[in-house]
Amino acid sequence: MSLAAPDTAPGRTAPAPVLRAESLSKAYGPITVLSDVTLDIRPGEVHAIIGENGAGKSTLMRLLSGHAEPTGGAMAMAGAPVAFTNAVQAEDAGIVLVHQEILLAPDLTVAQNLFLGRELSRLFAVDDRRMNRRTAEVLAQVGASARPWTIVGDLPLAQRQLVQIARALLDDRKVIILDEPTAMLAHDEVDALLDIVRNLRAQGVAVLYISHRLEEVEALADRVTVLRDGKMIGTWPAADLDQRQMAELMVGRELSMLYPPKREPATAEPALTVEDLTVDHGRITGSFSVRPGEVLGIGGMIGAGRTELIEGLMGLRPSQAGAIRVNGTAVAKPGVGALMAAGVVYLTEDRKGKGLLLNEGLGPNLILQAMDMINPRLRLDRKKEAAVVRSAVEDYDIRVRSLSIEAGQLSGGNQQKLLLAKVMQADPSVVIIDEPTRGIDIGNKSQIYRFIDGLVRAGKACVVISSELPELVGLSDRVLVMRGGRFVAELTGGDITEQNVVYAAASSGKDTEGRKRA
Amino acid sequence: MSSAEIATLPESEGFRIRWGDLAPFIALGVIILLGTMINSNFMSANNMLNVITRSAFIAIIGVGATFVIATGGLDLSIGSMLAFVVGIMIMAMNALAPSLGPWAIPVGALVALVVGSLCGLMNGLIVTVGRIEPFIVTLGTMGIFRALITYMTDGGSLSIDRSLRAAYRPLYFGDFLGVPYPVIITLVIALLGAFILYRTKYGRRVTAVGSNADVARFSGVHVGGVRTMAFVIQGFCVAVAAICYVPRLGAATPTTGQLWELQVITAVVIGGTLLRGGKAHIWGTVAGALILEVIANVMVLSDMVSEYLVAAVQGAIIIIAMLAHRFTSSR
Amino acid sequence: MELRTKGAALLSAAAIAGALTGAAAQAQDKDFTIAVSIPAATHGWTGGVVYHAQEAEKQLEAAYPNIDVIVSTASSATAQVASLEDLSATNELDALVILPFTSEELTGPVEQVASNGTFITVVDRGLSDPSIQDLYVAGDNIAVGANTAKWLVEKLGGTGEIVVLRGIPTVIDDERIKGFQDVIDQSDIKILDIQYANWNQDEAFTLMQDYLGKYPNIDAVWANDDDMLLGVIEAVDQAGREDVQYMLGGNGMKQVIEMVKAGDERTPISTPYPPSMIASAMYMTAAQFAGQAPMRGSFKLDAPLITPENADQFYFPDSPF
Repeated sequence: MSLAAPDTAPGRTAPAPVLRAESLSKAYGPITVLSDVTLDIRPGEVHAIIGENGAGKSTLMRLLSGHAEPTGGAMAMAGAPVAFTNAVQAEDAGIVLVHQEILLAPDLTVAQNLFLGRELSRLFAVDDRRMNRRTAEVLAQVGASARPWTIVGDLPLAQRQLVQIARALLDDRKVIILDEPTAMLAHDEVDALLDIVRNLRAQGVAVLYISHRLEEVEALADRVTVLRDGKMIGTWPAADLDQRQMAELMVGRELSMLYPPKREPATAEPALTVEDLTVDHGRITGSFSVRPGEVLGIGGMIGAGRTELIEGLMGLRPSQAGAIRVNGTAVAKPGVGALMAAGVVYLTEDRKGKGLLLNEGLGPNLILQAMDMINPRLRLDRKKEAAVVRSAVEDYDIRVRSLSIEAGQLSGGNQQKLLLAKVMQADPSVVIIDEPTRGIDIGNKSQIYRFIDGLVRAGKACVVISSELPELVGLSDRVLVMRGGRFVAELTGGDITEQNVVYAAASSGKDTEGRKRA
Repeated sequence: MSSAEIATLPESEGFRIRWGDLAPFIALGVIILLGTMINSNFMSANNMLNVITRSAFIAIIGVGATFVIATGGLDLSIGSMLAFVVGIMIMAMNALAPSLGPWAIPVGALVALVVGSLCGLMNGLIVTVGRIEPFIVTLGTMGIFRALITYMTDGGSLSIDRSLRAAYRPLYFGDFLGVPYPVIITLVIALLGAFILYRTKYGRRVTAVGSNADVARFSGVHVGGVRTMAFVIQGFCVAVAAICYVPRLGAATPTTGQLWELQVITAVVIGGTLLRGGKAHIWGTVAGALILEVIANVMVLSDMVSEYLVAAVQGAIIIIAMLAHRFTSSR
Repeated sequence: MELRTKGAALLSAAAIAGALTGAAAQAQDKDFTIAVSIPAATHGWTGGVVYHAQEAEKQLEAAYPNIDVIVSTASSATAQVASLEDLSATNELDALVILPFTSEELTGPVEQVASNGTFITVVDRGLSDPSIQDLYVAGDNIAVGANTAKWLVEKLGGTGEIVVLRGIPTVIDDERIKGFQDVIDQSDIKILDIQYANWNQDEAFTLMQDYLGKYPNIDAVWANDDDMLLGVIEAVDQAGREDVQYMLGGNGMKQVIEMVKAGDERTPISTPYPPSMIASAMYMTAAQFAGQAPMRGSFKLDAPLITPENADQFYFPDSPF
């Protein structure tokens, strides 16, 4: 690979750093998770930190924001040495971390959340008027449409993310650290968020931006720092790197192909045909079919009804179907059990909330779904369970320290592989995967893409719902786009491009006729 | 874990002592040690047998409660249900006694098992089909069962027919090779419960549902069915306890089983089962029932505590035991 | 807001009740309403109270067609207060017979009823302010304890070792224990142990088992209540202890009176604290209206020993208690 030299050498004409980390290290006992990171963060720049899961990004963020104390190295703000023992000290100094997870009290209002723990008061009573006014200002600053008195639980996910960012902006900040801010957002919401970040940059705030989505980094960042295995690889001006180079720096090897090559068009009779599926009392309806040897992508904005449609198919929410046929056999009505018996399985997008028993080991998770198939008798066959665990760990490359580990202790990528292994225990002919790689690192991502390719080449049919456009485009042989609870476009072959998907998902649909096919 | 499994899982951590799981047994040991120091009569065979036999009711009902709690449910009606089942059983036995003689006892016991299971089924169906919080449902049925037994006894007491008393009495007071029958029944029920919970597919689904009902649902587990079945198991266990209970005093009164639900839930939780579901310890529950009974026994045997403060000391010991549990399992 | 409406409703109800009382005074010999407010049947003794109240209701209404008796049960002190409000709001009460759950909580509400001119009969537990009541009928809890103790002192010849079971911590329990202890203290009898068993058969059984384990010699047991006595007897029988000469209860429960009648050696006596006192109170109250006989004052039922000779007088085969 040919890259420009890392931009770590001082002396270039750049503004003085607002925050500087010098040889920062962190070890837990004998295990070093971050070593020798030296970093400048300048006012008015977007500084992206990229790296695979476990590369040390989160640790670095925690050290910079006072959530953890370094075991080596030093930090300085505007030239003066600083050391934080807790997050409050860092916030007082003007550094704030916006967590990836939504950490808001759902039953309180936006304003109450923003001021939680630092309520303004007049005499002895809280001063709701002043807090609401200030909240409105900050909400406007981040472009959120929520009102100060809205209950947070009533807000869509994306708005909650904005509220969380707004909370970080309540006081004047010098450095804002955003940890995967777009992980939960749909495409247009991501664009809005990127505008907010640009706006912050224009106000002279230093933004530390962590993301798995390299296209965002490319679009947004001024400089990029790459971490790998707890070590600093270097800092480059973003203009010097394209996405492939970033990915290669992260994994430390050349990525020949992130996505497997596309397959020949499938011609066999459909493995799964769904006609007139109606979900949530008519709010969402759709018909689709998928052939063996084919990946059917389902695209659309978050909230378009993609997940709901599939959950309806599986009988996980109120639904009715005109007809469901699996390999030519009719399935009477929607339901996880009936469809699994017919050969259709579904991987939820919410692997922690609905996919895995986080407090249970690998075995109970792996056999939960296909228990009656693995184990036809009443009594559990523990030897068989152990065999299932061993072969799943091997076949799906689930990296575990020990076979008695609990699912919650696995990394996101390994959890996703465990979930895949779990539904595959039912030996399905059709696999429906919702957000196959959400929040997992690039190495595991490409592995999962290869699994999917392998399944399809082995004659199985696969349906992939994805909000990541490159993934949808890179993986699918055919794409259905949903908007407002209806399928509005079908794309095949060369028509499968990010632009076409976005256009169909976002436009009014009047002039999509050219691309729409029966 | 058996040795065969350790062999097949070389990478697993194998036989590792989990202090958290042993905590109830350690607590039981400590309290027994305490009792021995306080009163020499404590360790006498008679006293030990009395205490163990007495704990049978809470332990047997606790096995059922472990299932309900493991699925994330809660059954507050068990004390009243016991009284109700006892009442029905006594009425059935008294009605059958003239025609069947001593055979009225097994037939009455069978009636009790059916009635208990039906009571549990009712609780379960209201919870799952009606989609109402188990706390509220069983609070309601608690009142219903209590009112029914009060009605059946006219507020007084309902005694078993004298002709049956002698034949039935040994079920509580008798023993087999020195082991009292209620203890044997407790062991059988706990063994059965442990087998169902740890070794069957149903048991696996119980913990899955309690651990995360959504995951279970998304995996095609019939969550409502699993929950309802747990309530039926609970009802069955209550009936077994009722069968052991009647020979002791031979009567049902409106105060029979009063507040037992709290004792049972305490025993289950002391035993290491999570109140929010997902983690269940049958043998821990048995230990929990013994702990409660031993504490009460030690309180009476010691002269250190004023009769007015006995309940306070009992409460404090239970809280200390739970704190110790928390302490050992978090590290 | 809500409170205020409620208060207004009460006031208006009181006003109406007052007006009605005036009207009733004119038609006095035509129709009388007697309300009876008692605890619900939650254990043996209150079960007996309910039984006797209902029996008395039937007999009174049969004997005096112009008297209407309303029996209302309540499961707690607050429920009893509420039922009092309902009774006085929906009926024109000439008399109220009440067995209060607790003295303190019921005094105010009863006073409210009395202020309408209603004749008040209080049974068993006295109100905090005795001036409210017109008639007071009660058992003598101190005598229950004392008479049992006197009998025991005599039978044991003034010496021995005994254990005692207490009920639920209440005034009744305190008075019985006090009456018992005061007499025992004057003898050489030693009370080895005294613990609560909450007037519950099961708890009495386990407590007695523990007593038997703790003390190698026990001459007598006083269970202070016949419900608990049944548990005690079972525990002693199981242990096969010959040293226990006497096991005594109290309250005059049906099963125990049967034992007394049969001349049981270990339980030859009981002491009445009869739930039928509610019936006595109701008859006396009715006499105030029907018989034109002034019935005012305090009536304390004695607690004579029930012995094989007089047991028949205290035996109600149909009562649940």
